[in-house]
Amino acid sequence: MAGAFDFAPAIVLLPFVSFLIAVGVALTGRDLLPKGGALPGIAATGGSLLLSAWVALTVAGGEYYDETIYTWATGASAGHEFELTFGLLLDPLAAMMLVIVSLVAFLVHVFSLGYMNDEGETGLPRYYAGLGLFSASMLGFVVADNLLQAFVFFELVGLCSWLLIGFWFREEGPPSAAKKAFLVTRFGDYFFLVGVVAVFATFGTAAFAGPESFPVLAEEVLAGEAGGEVATFGFGAETWFTIVGLLILGGVIGKSAQFPLHTWLPDAMEGPTPVSALIHAATMVAAGVYLVARMYGFYALSPTALAIIALVGGLTALLAATMGVVKREIKQVLAYSTISQYGYMMLGLGAGGYVAATFHLLTHAFFKALLFLGAGSVIIAMHHNEDMWDMGGLRERMPITYYTFLSGSLALAGIVPFAGFWSKDEVLYEALIHGLGSEGGLGTVLLLAYAFGLLAVFFTGFYTFRMVFLTFHGEPRTETARDPHGVRWNVKFPLVVLGVLAAVTGFVNMKPVEDLTGVKLTFLHKWLGEEGASGLLANLSAHHYAEVAHDFGGITAAEVGSLGPAVVSLAIALAGAGLAWRLYDVPEPVEHTERLGAVRDVLFNNYYQDEYQVWLAESVVRPIAGVADRFDQGVVDGVVDGVSSVSLVSGDRLRRLQTGIVSNYAVLLTLGLTALLLAFALMGGWF
Amino acid sequence: MVPAEWYVILSAAVFCIGLVGILTRKNALLFLMSVELMLNAANINFVAFSQVWGNVTGQTFGLFVQALAAAEVAVGIGIILVLYRNFKDIDVTSAATMRW
Repeated sequence: MAGAFDFAPAIVLLPFVSFLIAVGVALTGRDLLPKGGALPGIAATGGSLLLSAWVALTVAGGEYYDETIYTWATGASAGHEFELTFGLLLDPLAAMMLVIVSLVAFLVHVFSLGYMNDEGETGLPRYYAGLGLFSASMLGFVVADNLLQAFVFFELVGLCSWLLIGFWFREEGPPSAAKKAFLVTRFGDYFFLVGVVAVFATFGTAAFAGPESFPVLAEEVLAGEAGGEVATFGFGAETWFTIVGLLILGGVIGKSAQFPLHTWLPDAMEGPTPVSALIHAATMVAAGVYLVARMYGFYALSPTALAIIALVGGLTALLAATMGVVKREIKQVLAYSTISQYGYMMLGLGAGGYVAATFHLLTHAFFKALLFLGAGSVIIAMHHNEDMWDMGGLRERMPITYYTFLSGSLALAGIVPFAGFWSKDEVLYEALIHGLGSEGGLGTVLLLAYAFGLLAVFFTGFYTFRMVFLTFHGEPRTETARDPHGVRWNVKFPLVVLGVLAAVTGFVNMKPVEDLTGVKLTFLHKWLGEEGASGLLANLSAHHYAEVAHDFGGITAAEVGSLGPAVVSLAIALAGAGLAWRLYDVPEPVEHTERLGAVRDVLFNNYYQDEYQVWLAESVVRPIAGVADRFDQGVVDGVVDGVSSVSLVSGDRLRRLQTGIVSNYAVLLTLGLTALLLAFALMGGWF
Repeated sequence: MVPAEWYVILSAAVFCIGLVGILTRKNALLFLMSVELMLNAANINFVAFSQVWGNVTGQTFGLFVQALAAAEVAVGIGIILVLYRNFKDIDVTSAATMRW
């Protein structure tokens, strides 16, 4: 009987077909499909969602799948046999991510009916083509069974991001933001590409799973079991694995908008809001974090790489949260909160909290998609004005948006019992116990990252509720806010689904409650593989990762109860939210952030990150590029041009020998014969 | 018995006459004759050395060269006819269009 795994390729192919349909319609230039091409997209992502759920159920039954579908190149080099393939890897992590991506993609397609179609946008087939291709490439990335396939789809996802941010290409901002997003993520992907090549050169394979996969080979090398099979290019094995891991991390930092490559994400808000929800919050930005989780068995081998991941994550979480405090536009606040939340996930991964980070990935996907779609609903109501200072008092006028948005905000701020509380608390808890338990520099770094994360909790609570109070509470501050535009079912339906999910998803993994009551409540730990996982999962389970991180990565847990840290982080979040309540939940709020003075300017300008990156590009990279250009034009091209002009000139001279007069040829023949005879005579010693 | 050196000197002399003819003359018919001379210089060598070594292979080869020369003359005369038709002349230096 055909099982779920036989239909798994269709999860990726269905949205691709919807992309082809939308492109076909767009090319005809006529309005052939109702709703501008939205229906194929909705059907395709709905189908993907059902199939993903089926796959998840099958995986829950203990069956896993890892097959190569298509080998597109083979070869051998330096004693390694290469096979470049596309394949499917369906394990608990991939199944969970498939459900998240296809669910959010489906809801965003539905929401787009309200945000794009009902608002009378033009160019809709192009929009839905972009969404379809994006869904297909993201799903393809999730099921990738090797690093190269992951890279290919990683790039496709970046391309779709560029297409969709620049959707309103006739205005000035979006095309520029699209280019910025593309270039900044490309900068990170460059390191990723080098890392992929390095993995192939080192291990001869880029497979994620199975006994011949590169994380397993690396582990065997470090354990001293298989020394001769990998090439480490003169470095010690551990140093070299750290270098390779950090190269790949370059792509992760670019795509997951981590410091210092986060600058593209706030600008990406120029795109349509459903796109922001799908790409720049719930899925594409998750690709980076997912990649680290996917090859966690490799990162867990290197204490240095773990420390860097944790530090980058903690720093990003804190910096982005502070920047979010002073923003005026609702989508900007959400953009910085996204960067900050992905910082938490990186912190969790770096601190050895594989399950915690994956858990935060899950909950964040739901509540951030919810917040963006809620913001989209507000933006529809406000006639596309995004400035929170022009809103106010929308609570009575759009109750469904308000209550779902509130659910997402409570999750984001980490207030019990909403989803974000459980996951963020577990990330911080892992950072704390591993920071206290691990020895040497790693423990210090983890504790520092924990401090950053804890501080960021305060700012998160503050900016989240500043946003809620400014948007929905108080008195309307403009005419538009007094009489907002209504929204229809196609906006409310996704909001309600996600609102419920944002409230309840956290219940899949309630570690503090488990410790308090003794009842088994950590279902996600079980799902991602506890002790005794066998078969394919043996090397992919959370338990295995924890062992590797302990044996090789130097991650050791200290004995700390989970309840105390949970209460601390909840209290800090409540303090932040309470401050926002005191300052902004009044009928006529004023801009308190102005009182911060110079600090506010620094925050509002994002710590001048853009400025120094532009300075780097213009004052450092451009002169270097100029020198390289001159070298290229002068030396490299010069040699090529020189060879060609030498042949041209000599050919021009030599052809004059061919006069067309037979007598001259006869003379040449005779002279040649004479010369030959003379040569023979001299060589043969006739004289 | 004539010594072999005499044959070789004769052959070299005939060859050089042919060569000078090719290098100095412009008339195509004289060209053809000069080529003929050079071929026959080679023939003299064949026959002479055949006699010196007492082996008939060289003489057989001489007959083959005669036949070949006859065929070559037929082709050469044909070319000269075409040359005349196209250039109204059999001067080999006037037909100089096959050049760069």
